[in-house]
This record gives sequence, C-alpha cells and structure tokens, in this order.
Amino acid sequence: MNKFNSKHIRRVVLDMAFAGATVHIGCAFSIVELLAVLYRNHLRVDTANPDSPTRDYMVLSKGHGVMAQYACLEELGWLTRDDLARYFKDGTRLKGLADAHIPGVEATTGSLGHGLSVGTGLALAAKLARTDQKCYALVGDGELNEGAIWEAALFATHFKLDNLIVIVDKNGYQAMGTTDDVLVLGNIEDKFTAFGFEAVTIDGHDEAAIDAAYARMKQSLNGKPKAIVANSVKGKGVSFMEHNNIWHYTRLNADTHAAAVAELGDTA
Amino acid sequence: MRNAFSDALVAAAVADPKVLLLTGDHGYALFDPFRKARPEQYINCGIAEQNMVGVAAGLAKAGFKPIVYGLAAFVPVRVLEQIKIDVCYERLPVILIGDGAGLVYSHLGTSHQSTEDIACTRAIPDLTVLSPADRFEMTATMNLALALNSPVYLRMGKSDRGDVHAKPVTLKAGEMVQVRQGKQRLALLAIGSMVKTAMELCDLGLDAEVWSVPCIKPLSRQQLAELVARVDGLVTLEEHSVMGGLGACIAEEAAAIRPLPICRIGVQDRFSAYCGTWDYLLKEHQIDLFSVQNRVQEFVNHLPSSSSDTFDTA
Repeated sequence: MNKFNSKHIRRVVLDMAFAGATVHIGCAFSIVELLAVLYRNHLRVDTANPDSPTRDYMVLSKGHGVMAQYACLEELGWLTRDDLARYFKDGTRLKGLADAHIPGVEATTGSLGHGLSVGTGLALAAKLARTDQKCYALVGDGELNEGAIWEAALFATHFKLDNLIVIVDKNGYQAMGTTDDVLVLGNIEDKFTAFGFEAVTIDGHDEAAIDAAYARMKQSLNGKPKAIVANSVKGKGVSFMEHNNIWHYTRLNADTHAAAVAELGDTA
Repeated sequence: MRNAFSDALVAAAVADPKVLLLTGDHGYALFDPFRKARPEQYINCGIAEQNMVGVAAGLAKAGFKPIVYGLAAFVPVRVLEQIKIDVCYERLPVILIGDGAGLVYSHLGTSHQSTEDIACTRAIPDLTVLSPADRFEMTATMNLALALNSPVYLRMGKSDRGDVHAKPVTLKAGEMVQVRQGKQRLALLAIGSMVKTAMELCDLGLDAEVWSVPCIKPLSRQQLAELVARVDGLVTLEEHSVMGGLGACIAEEAAAIRPLPICRIGVQDRFSAYCGTWDYLLKEHQIDLFSVQNRVQEFVNHLPSSSSDTFDTA
C-alpha cells in the first residue's frame, strides 16, 4: 500500500477510537485527505529527526482532529503501532488533543485559536532566517470564532508571510451545532481574501484538488499568506457518521465499530 | 530603572541577533534606542496581544529569543492562556515584560492597573517570576532572564522611586537580596516600589532587616529558613494583591518551615474606587508610608519581642 493512504488512515483512526473509547472521531475523519496528501507529497520532513531545523512546519490548530495526525506520524516512524493501540490508556503519552511534547506535533492545541499564531511565528522565523521553510496550519471552521485567528491573519498579511498556508477544514459543524446556527461565518474565502490572503476553495476530500492547491500555494511567492478553504464532511467515510455531529461526542461500541469497519474495509 | 531596562534590551540585541523585541504597540519613546540600534530585531505586533505571545512561541521554537513587551494588565494577564500553553508547556525561552504593574496607571483606572499578575503567573509551571526594585535590580533581573533560557515573567512597576542598592547587584535564581541589617527580630520582605517604602520605614526608626525579593519564583527555601530562624515575625510589602502575591508566597513557604506571625501588606481584595495620582491611590489602598507604619507598629506590638518604641516618636 502507498504511504499515507486515506482509507488506511481512517481505519487506523477508527481502531484507535475504538480501543481508547474516545470521542472526536468526526473531527479526525474530516481532515484525513488534507493530511494524507500533505504528508505524502508536500511536507518536507527529515524522518531521522522530527525537529530538523530545515523542516516544514505542520501545526494542527484544530487539535480535536489529532487522531488523524497520529496515524500519519506512525507512518513516519515517529510513533509506534503500540502507541496507537494503547491510545487513551493510563500512563500513555498520546493525549486526547494535539500536544507539542509528541514528535511532529508543533503546538499544543485544542484550546482553539492558539495554533495559527504559533504557526505564524514559525513562518516569520523562516522569513527572518531567510529559509525556504513553509508552515501549514490546519484550523477548523468553528475555530474561526476565536478572535486570535483574525489577529494572526492581520499579522501574517502585514509581515508578508507568503510561506504560511492556512488550511480551513470547513466541515460546517462545531461543538453545539452547525457553524451557521452557532455563529455565522459567511464566506470564509472572501473573509481571508479581505484580510489580504491569496485564497482558494476546494473539495476537502478530492485528493487531486488538494494536491493541486498545495502545489499552487507553495509556489506562489507573492508576499501574500495563503488560505485553502476545504469543504469537508464531518465524519467522512462512514455513512452513519457523516454530517452527524453526535460523532463529535459518541464513543464506538462493538456494533458501531463493526459497521464502520464494514464500510471502510480491512486496511488496518 | 526604565533606562536600565532599555540599556539591557539594546545590549542583549546587539550581543545576539536572535534576540527579538515584540511589542503590542506600547513603549513609544522607551524603544527609541532599540529601534535605532537594531531596527531589524524590533517587531510591533499591533494591538493583538494573544497573537503576539503565540508568535513569540513560534519564533522561540525556531531558535529565536523573543522579549515580549506589554503593560502588565495585558502581558501577562490578558494572555495568560497563551503563556501557559504556547510558551511554558514547551519551556520556550520567551521573556515577558509587564510594564506599569501595580497602581502605576493610577489615573487610567482599573483596566490599566495590575494587582493580580503575580498571582496568575506564579501558578504556571516552569515560569520564573521576577520583580526588580531599582535600576541595579533591573539590570540583574534582565541578565538572569536572558541567561535562564526558559520562560520568564518580569514585572516592571513604579520606576522612579530611586535606588535601593548603592551599587550593582548580581542575582541567582531564587535569591533574595538583603538591603538593610537590623537589630530587631523582625524582617521586612518587599518587592518593586515597596522596597523603598520598607527602607523609609526604617528611616523612621524601625530597626528591622530589609530584604528585596526580585525573584518571586523560584524562591530559595534555604535562605528563607535561615531568616525565619532568627526573627519573630515577617512583614511583606507589595504593590499587588495580598491574595497570591509576595505575601502569599512567603507565608506558604514560611509555614512549611515553622509557625511565625506574618503581616501581609498590599492591596486588599478590592479594585481602586477613585481616580488620582499614584500617591493618592497608595493611600486609598492603605499602602502609603503612613498607613504601613501604623500597620507595622500594630503588628510589632503583638510580637513576643515587642517594645513600644518601634518607631522614633520625635
């Protein structure tokens, strides 16, 4: 199997969530393709050294989706299968939200609106040091409620951080309902454009479209920070989880796990 | 004291190009020398303190040494969560400067006054908390902060009260600095502007030891134990709430050594009610020299070694 196969990542997430009896499955499923394509084709890493000073930065600002990132980090060899199998058990190192003590995780997030600022600082550091490093920051659409996101957006434009690529996982849901019902966001691409970004909207599960968007934004050195608004489906890949916000909170049981496995296939 | 701060900033930036000064659009004339000496190491982040601290964390992760400047009401209080999660959890070398701490912005009111910043910051793991009392301590605390290579909150309060030391001091993390010897079995422990007040109390006839506590966290337990062993009581003085500040730190540590009376002088659990000068607000909060003298006299009267002539009556 190719590295960073989306079906495989989804199955790994499912099994982690089942083994650990954890929540936030829908949050992880909506970003699988976005992470898979990034790790497979674009993110520059040194597998021998997660802290390589020449690495590209991947900041998961929406820390609730961290299971999908853990699956990718296991493929890089920075986590073990045992880490994943023991997820959420007493005394284990993988916490329920993104945690910067884990190799490959750049910021401690889950408290929302933090990661983009840290990523903005990393992008500025690359500019100051005159390196060609990129910083990818994946934020949730619900996370755009946080004021700090827009502070970071102003800053990134002012300091011409065209090496900052913000990816918005626009799955349309946040904790208590749809983003339209809770705090209406309007047109997200237009908002980022108005803040001075070069922005594009794509299908967040179409790997070819994702690949093309990353390639375009990486090459565009026009002084503008980038925003990729990815229309996605919360719970993508398992029919009874898709567009059903209960899978922000619900834990799998043997029956729902088996039903999900039947849909995802045996790629673990 | 502010000149000493500016000098320390410029020296640090000249010595190390990785040192960056980030400000939340504050420090108008204060940073003129810095901007002249190292304009490329000066970053005005705008009136966006949350992002500023997150950016500082990112810069520090990538090998820079950010010094983040704001008014104490905003840095650290407004951005406490960024300090906790983005900076301290990864033990990043970010120095946070909170200017105008205490009641300095007396006329501007509650939004700009800061009497809870020590209480907030000292509970965050891996964060060193410093509070210099004069220009010599400012230089020493800046040197200490730069040498630590870990998160630091440096509290800069009333800056024009003059020197409490006669010459430059060197500081180690955790150490208190003795400012005055005393014959009475009483020690005054103070921070910032209140070290001067403690000295003035002694000028009025109190013959107590006076210690400045520029390093609030960590605090040397050994040094405090030696002090606690030879006095009958402690008085703490701070331009900060008595809840969670210097007095609370000392009381917590001293209580683990031996029981002794401790008088905590500082802002009580209340906001400033009125507008006015700094001197006026000290009176409102009963931490002006006259109020403090009465508090200390009353405290000393109840100590085992009390004498009625604590202060000169002349």
